[in-house]
Amino acid sequence: MARKPKYKEGMVVHPSLGERVADVIIGIILLACMALAIIPMWHTLMASLSDGNLLLAHNGVLWKWVTADGKPNWDGYIKTLSYDDMAIIKSYAYTILYVVGNVLVGLVLNVIAAYVIYRKPKASGIMMLFIIISLMFNGGTVPTYMVIRNLGMTGTVWSMILPDCTNAMFIILTLNAFKQVPKSTIEAAELDGAGHFTIMFRILLPQAMGLVTVTMINTAIISWNAWFNAMLYVPSDKNLWPLQLWIKQIVADNATLTTATSPDWNRYLVSYCVIIIATLPVLIAMPFAQKQLQKGSLMGAVKE
Amino acid sequence: MAKTKSKSATYNPKNTWKYDLKKNGVLYLIFLIPFTFLLIFKYIPMVGILMAFQDYKVAKGLFDSPWVGLDKFQELFAGAQFGYAFRNTVYMALLNLTLGFIIPVILGLLISQVRNKRRSRVVQTITYMPYFVAPVVVCTLAKEFLKEGGAITMFLTMFGLPNQNWLAVNSPVFWFINCFLGIWQGAGYGAIVYIAAINGIDQNLYEAACIDGASRWQRLWNITIPSIVPLVVMMFTMQIGLVFMTGFDKVLLLYMPTTYEFSDCLSTYTYRMAFSSGNDFSLSTASGLLQSIIGTLLLIFGNKMSEKATKMSLF
Repeated sequence: MARKPKYKEGMVVHPSLGERVADVIIGIILLACMALAIIPMWHTLMASLSDGNLLLAHNGVLWKWVTADGKPNWDGYIKTLSYDDMAIIKSYAYTILYVVGNVLVGLVLNVIAAYVIYRKPKASGIMMLFIIISLMFNGGTVPTYMVIRNLGMTGTVWSMILPDCTNAMFIILTLNAFKQVPKSTIEAAELDGAGHFTIMFRILLPQAMGLVTVTMINTAIISWNAWFNAMLYVPSDKNLWPLQLWIKQIVADNATLTTATSPDWNRYLVSYCVIIIATLPVLIAMPFAQKQLQKGSLMGAVKE
Repeated sequence: MAKTKSKSATYNPKNTWKYDLKKNGVLYLIFLIPFTFLLIFKYIPMVGILMAFQDYKVAKGLFDSPWVGLDKFQELFAGAQFGYAFRNTVYMALLNLTLGFIIPVILGLLISQVRNKRRSRVVQTITYMPYFVAPVVVCTLAKEFLKEGGAITMFLTMFGLPNQNWLAVNSPVFWFINCFLGIWQGAGYGAIVYIAAINGIDQNLYEAACIDGASRWQRLWNITIPSIVPLVVMMFTMQIGLVFMTGFDKVLLLYMPTTYEFSDCLSTYTYRMAFSSGNDFSLSTASGLLQSIIGTLLLIFGNKMSEKATKMSLF
């Protein structure tokens, strides 16, 4: 990486003993970090393929699934998919709806707000202040809940999409991205008679996509991971629950399961399976997101 | 991330509102869309803060509930639970600001020491992975690993510690658990910005140092670290502003009534007073307001520090 000095030809390179020892120590520490990052999810994956009864008796990390016959037990996944009248599958669809809704509505709002301030009308300073104040102060959990309830949004899909879809931080990031676009392109577009929406979505946005993608990925992660709003706004509508709230619920149910008489032990696996089902797609999408986020954070760091 | 102060300078020659409105009327009109969103979901709830100064009754609403001045704040300070919540919030925030801040920096430095590009990439990707794991999942895993017979518990028994459910222990251990979960989730993500900065350091500096016979340690100490200090300072001042408001969602998922003394924090107290055990919206709003005020003061303070130290600020 950065430290890799490109030794010129003819230069004699012989790392000292101390440097070699340092390399080994750093390697060990980083290996340990990687192990720490992976083991919890690996444990969960293996647990989801185990036999419920044997799993409960197991202590420590699960390196390989535990079943009586040594083969993976898929019963947990079958139980998960049919759990509570296909609740998990429905919840999956709703979670995707929330993520897409949040990202799209958020994108439109952030771009509009950033664009208006970018064009510097006389009130742009006031507009910026209006946005920054919303970042610094907030009404808090209860007053926000009251507003959403009074709007009649509680118990509807809207309460899961609209309240948090725009965010002052993301507006500021989008604005920063716009500022890096050469002014001449916009002037040229204006001469060609392009309107505001054409300029913002077809000229500015494509050129500012790097940082804007960062805001979109972050919005997507936040809304995929969200559970608190659902607990407040749609507590009794299980149909509308996002996956994360189901995980919370199923884990809580498991605590009482073990005290029941002659329980179905494989039912205990559902909590592991649902975690895998809810996390795997994100981890698969991760390399793409990582690349974008890294590019974005570089841009943020390089600025000025 | 950082941006320079926005100036309200306009570029139109006729600097009057009338001229501006004529020229930019459409802009003002489309700004109404995000304006409405922020107004409804961020600003109108601020009016609800008035509840903190009332004895709010749902049946009466915000306008007819009796005003009680600062009674609710007195009630807050009189209760032992709020005291615990406040103390725990401070300690957890301090841990996040020290331990939670320094580990990503160290991880970034370590990863940047890996000479093989492919290996470095692999380390980055894998340590970054937990950032994509949801808090609910993180906390479920924490319960699984810290329970009696759980992996971490078993590991700790090797050092003579008891085989117990660590989350049920009513002691400051909870603060560290919360902090470590944050680190597990965020260290790889936090390290990226430092790695990027280290990659951006002029390679000639290292080459020159090599020729002069500087050891690896000397190069790290005299080139790498001084180069990233401004960034570290900026990230730290930004973190000051956020530390009182974020990182508490895990507490709500992990704490239990028997450990409230050390696990309760302002966010969870606020939630519980309104939605869970209590139904006192006024008390809850008062506690939320207090946290919000401290958070805002820290945000302004952090931003000022950042401006002073690095000439960069968030707003």
